[in-house]
Amino acid sequence: MQVTLTMKPRAKPFLPIEAEMINPMNFIGSQNLFVWEGNKKRRLEDIFTVRKEGNVNSPENIVVVLRGDTSRVKRVGEYMSSGTIIVEGDIGMHCGNFMRGGFIEIQGNADGWLGREMRGGSILCHGNAGDYCGSGYRGEKRGMRGGKIEVAGNAGDYLGEYLTGGEIHVHGNAGMFAGAEMRGGCLIIDGDARIPAANMAKGTCIIHGEIHEMLPTFEKIGEKDGMLVYHGDVANKGKGELIVKSKIT
Amino acid sequence: MFHIEDKVRHIVCPYCGCLCDDILVELTDGRISGVENACTLGAHKFLDDADNRLKGPIMRKGDQWVDISYEEAIAYAVQTLSEADRPLLYGWSGCVTETQAIGAHLAELIGGVVDSTTSVCHGPSILAIQEVGHPGCTLGQVKNRADTIIYWGSNPIEAHPRHLSRYTNYADAYFLHNAFRERKVIVFDVRKTATSEIASEFVQLEQGGDYHVLSALRAIVRGREDVVPDMVAGVPKSQLIRVAEMCKKAKFGALFFGVGVTMTGGKYKNIRNAIEFVDELNRHTKWTISPMRGHSNVYGSNEVFTWITGYPYAVDYARGIAFYNPGETTAVDILARKEADAALIMASDPGAHFPRTCCEHLAKIPTILFDPYPSATTHLCTVQIPCAVNGIDAAGTAYRMDGIPIRTRKFLETGYPTDTSLMHEIYEQIRERKEHV
Ligand code: SF4
Repeated sequence: MQVTLTMKPRAKPFLPIEAEMINPMNFIGSQNLFVWEGNKKRRLEDIFTVRKEGNVNSPENIVVVLRGDTSRVKRVGEYMSSGTIIVEGDIGMHCGNFMRGGFIEIQGNADGWLGREMRGGSILCHGNAGDYCGSGYRGEKRGMRGGKIEVAGNAGDYLGEYLTGGEIHVHGNAGMFAGAEMRGGCLIIDGDARIPAANMAKGTCIIHGEIHEMLPTFEKIGEKDGMLVYHGDVANKGKGELIVKSKIT
Repeated sequence: MFHIEDKVRHIVCPYCGCLCDDILVELTDGRISGVENACTLGAHKFLDDADNRLKGPIMRKGDQWVDISYEEAIAYAVQTLSEADRPLLYGWSGCVTETQAIGAHLAELIGGVVDSTTSVCHGPSILAIQEVGHPGCTLGQVKNRADTIIYWGSNPIEAHPRHLSRYTNYADAYFLHNAFRERKVIVFDVRKTATSEIASEFVQLEQGGDYHVLSALRAIVRGREDVVPDMVAGVPKSQLIRVAEMCKKAKFGALFFGVGVTMTGGKYKNIRNAIEFVDELNRHTKWTISPMRGHSNVYGSNEVFTWITGYPYAVDYARGIAFYNPGETTAVDILARKEADAALIMASDPGAHFPRTCCEHLAKIPTILFDPYPSATTHLCTVQIPCAVNGIDAAGTAYRMDGIPIRTRKFLETGYPTDTSLMHEIYEQIRERKEHV
């Protein structure tokens, strides 16, 4: 079954919409779904034109398509465990929070906290991802723990903060403090990064581009496949691995 | 001519986070004519007060200001705030905790966002504390015990002028024989400042190099100086080793940090690193760390919001329950994304401090400003309501930068209503309105 949600024009187009109920599973049956626009609770149909095609046999076969200006729609696919969500434009913050399975494809850009604390499944973002992609919540000790996030464009600051498991692959550049406090998992950045892997404890961070302002507390171990291998962060007895092409401090 | 002169003692200065409580104010014919004990900043807060205040509430009509009554101003606030879809209640650092409490409750009542100036000063410090805790202490402990003081990204001589004389360098200490001789002051800054001039050791680092220097210091204190390169962010390794040694030798150390570290790149990561540096030092001796809070009662806003909502600032009640996520629910972010459709600004001046896009948005939406004096925000707001000044013609509770509550004193009668009474009135009227629909 395909569910197409098309954004209706809004009187105040900048108001955020919290829509954690946009999760493939919720479109089985015909329960009333509600979203929040600012401090008002609205029916899903008040915000989106909802079109359903085909039959449902299992949640894995549900594809939810979001159309129109969805850049202010937050928490899409939160706790999702199966099925597919396709966002044709940009998506708001917290897309794929705590996701456990299934697939989210974003054809535009994603705002902050993409795949926050996700456990499984995969997210593909064709555009850029905002800050805190694959990280944890404020004060949380673990960020993403499993699954995969792939970003074709650039990522913002604090990419994969507290990354604990799973893989994040950014094809473009990352902002500052990518992989800060990493505890596991694998973070791959094809482009450049600023102050990466700060205070990392475990895990692997691979940077193919240039590093700006590399931290002084990484210990050079050797070379592997033409890349330099560092261990750290020595400031905290970290046993993480930072693999870089060239070091520029 | 005959003048009535009067001297009032033990006045609390409502300017900066030091909340000096030993100010003496001279009054002549009911006007402030002299101030003793206060620093220049504090003295001017008192001396410049008279004649600068707005006479009464004003409202923008077209491109003119018209005088309105307090009742009309309150009615406007009640209507605007209760109809808004995403009201923002921002400021709260210059007013008393009693008013802040009403602000937090009001946010819940109207489904708004309540944020204090913390989000543009020491918000990152709080984020760091939420990650790794806060080995802090009161300023009294520092005054009586500390023999090594670090000021990092902070210039107290110009920003908190009496911090040094009341609590650190120039203060007498109960547990030190000759406090001034025994105390060492280490200053970390990107440029020479008035405070670096009096320091026993000045570490000048490159802009944005705080995190690197802290990481290097941690590694050195941990005995891993072998990995540290010869220069770290413009600081020679030899100096870092010397400073680390000074810190380890301290009997009681106190690290104070200012917005110079919280508001450069890295923000809360810098503070987290500083806290972990202090943790590391605590394996050798006793060290504490404290933020140099700016506004008189900004600490109070964090205390009050935490005990009412569970979160220290940037609390979003849009869905009826408190949600907190700086970067998403902070005033600057909400305004930059043009989310807010009404704003109440309490005793602060975003017009002077916020990015331009935020100010532009504030100017577009109905904005109600509570401020006794005209400010840069006056140019952005729809209605400005002057109220009594905390510490001059209003009394209440304020929290010093180390979290000590101090009762401010009222020593003048001016006839202005207090912000507490105005906010109470607004809250009650909105509550009644909500009950009738
Ligand atoms: S140090 Fe701060 S509180 Fe003390 S007098 Fe000066 S401005 Fe006022």
